[in-house]
Amino acid sequence: MNPILVLGAGPAGLSAAAEIAELGAPTILVEREAYLGGNPKRWHYSLLAPDLRPSDEILGPLIAKVEGNPRVELHRSTTVTKAERLPKGFRVTLKTGDALETQEVSAVVLATGFDHFDSRRKFEYGYGRYPDVLDFKELEGMIHDDRVLRPSDGKPPRRIAWILCVGSRDLQVGNPWCCRMGCAVSIKQAVEIRQKHPEIDAYVYYMDIRTYGLWEDLYWKSMQEYGVKFIRGRIGQVTIAEGGSQLLATGEDTILRRPTEVPFDMIVLASGMEPGTGTQEAAALFGVPVGPEGFLTPNLSDMNPVDSGLPGVFLAGAATGPKAIPDSVTEGMGAALRAYQYARN
Amino acid sequence: MTIVAHLPQRALTLTEEESAAPPAMELTGRRRASPEERALSETIFREFHADPRYHEFVLGCLNCGECTTGCPAARFYDFSPREMLQIAETGDATTLWDALQEKIWACCQCYTCNMRCRFGNDIAGIISVMRELSVSHGVASTRKTLAPFGRSLTLLMTVGTQVSSDMIQPDFFRDWGPFATGSDRAWGVGADIMRRAIPSDVLQTTRSSWEVSVQTSLELFRIYEETGVLDMLRGLDPDLTEMLIDIIEERREEFEEARERFRTELEGMRGPVATFRG
Ligand code: SF4
Ligand code: SF4
Ligand code: SF4
Repeated sequence: MNPILVLGAGPAGLSAAAEIAELGAPTILVEREAYLGGNPKRWHYSLLAPDLRPSDEILGPLIAKVEGNPRVELHRSTTVTKAERLPKGFRVTLKTGDALETQEVSAVVLATGFDHFDSRRKFEYGYGRYPDVLDFKELEGMIHDDRVLRPSDGKPPRRIAWILCVGSRDLQVGNPWCCRMGCAVSIKQAVEIRQKHPEIDAYVYYMDIRTYGLWEDLYWKSMQEYGVKFIRGRIGQVTIAEGGSQLLATGEDTILRRPTEVPFDMIVLASGMEPGTGTQEAAALFGVPVGPEGFLTPNLSDMNPVDSGLPGVFLAGAATGPKAIPDSVTEGMGAALRAYQYARN
Repeated sequence: MTIVAHLPQRALTLTEEESAAPPAMELTGRRRASPEERALSETIFREFHADPRYHEFVLGCLNCGECTTGCPAARFYDFSPREMLQIAETGDATTLWDALQEKIWACCQCYTCNMRCRFGNDIAGIISVMRELSVSHGVASTRKTLAPFGRSLTLLMTVGTQVSSDMIQPDFFRDWGPFATGSDRAWGVGADIMRRAIPSDVLQTTRSSWEVSVQTSLELFRIYEETGVLDMLRGLDPDLTEMLIDIIEERREEFEEARERFRTELEGMRGPVATFRG
């Protein structure tokens, strides 16, 4: 059997590669970056919602399963530049630096993931202009290193606001979908900060809190046990407050039905998920249809969420839409099984 | 193939049945309206929901409040564009009716809310549809609200503009803040300096901005007649409407006389002009 190609080494791709190897088939795992672990690794995610386990505890074992696995051929800093369909599978060209290599594979799993929304596009929040307006993936790194300090002056913040749905559920930027994790991750961050620094006030501005399913517990506990404050309504504009050292958040408190202006030391933006560059390239290479949102579309998203509908092409993780890590891992397993069945027959 | 693609497309035009549909609900704990008021409020409710623009402007609302953030009116009044969108969506005729009494006039039609709306609503637009309805039905409070604007209306209806640029000075706009008047130099220059930057040949023409040609006036009025604006105004202020018609009649006569003069002069030069009547 020709090896099965897995594209992308985030949670979904790692999981797929590990399971294919476990089934006994040879695997080629291709990752564009020099490291394994995808976005969680790239942005140094701290604790992962919902169980608040350190991300290394989850990614570590996944990475260990493929690294040094004799059935997994790892290609870091590598992209696929060409894919020709064969009677069974594809002939693909792998590019590492300037070196090109051609391989025949019997099936592919596309686990090309997402990119975080570039918060500069919501210019009214001043991200990229005001140093104390952070993207929440940057705060993850700060929490991970236990150095939650204002980038502008290195001082510890007294009041932090989170703004949810930045670049999600928003036709102004053309992204009407929900990111599924922004609420949980923001609340988790607020809890982590309140746990370590109870003197910091945490405010979350929201339209809806979507800590779906059992994650709701996080939302409740954040209020019950950690005193995180929730304000229903959005911030529509961030400027510099009088005096120049704080940020001024202007918005509407839609429960009290009045416009509000509140000074904060730091403002954190829950940036959404967009189809990653790798996902767009994979769609073009393998001819997988994309929806109007730009994510890959499974053939039957309810019955066969990991089948693209094209012979030998399987999908896993956030390449098909915003997804949490446990779901990505599960889909990696499903896609591994489907790809193995296809390759074996 | 997205989830949304599986949903049926929303029809842009209403069936007759739908547009005649009465208010769908009634909120409790409201003051009692008189039977006349109630009948009028229900008529307005029906017309509002049957207006084709309604379905173009009101798409849905996440209640995010971002429209309110940038709204100048919301800073000064018990008013917000989010609330107006909610009122536009309510099935309760009295709520709409109450908003027509005062709220709709707080908006200055700056369209900032539309720029902010993440759902793509035309909030400023739906507010102006509400205004149109209250004007054309001659709602008593609207008559009162608009009474001081007779002079502006007269100018708008007869010459098409009510401001000329030599009017742009603090005496005319007492609500200007210190930034605009230039008494506070935070911006470096104030309106007095900026006005001096207007090229003088432009200032020449703006002095005559109310002296439009008679054809322009007539054409403008024709538009108001054809589009129903005049009828709308009649509901609000019959006296003003009659006065406007008188003014325009005079202009029409003026125009006819001028045309006649021109014709005679032409004939004097070239003999009879058979095709001129156009
Ligand atoms: S998960 Fe929360 S933050 Fe993300 S788009 Fe949905 S509602 Fe907004
Ligand atoms: S158009 Fe009216 S409602 Fe909208 S922002 Fe301007 S004043 Fe407010
Ligand atoms: S901005 Fe749009 S979606 Fe948000 S509250 Fe206003 S009308 Fe509703």
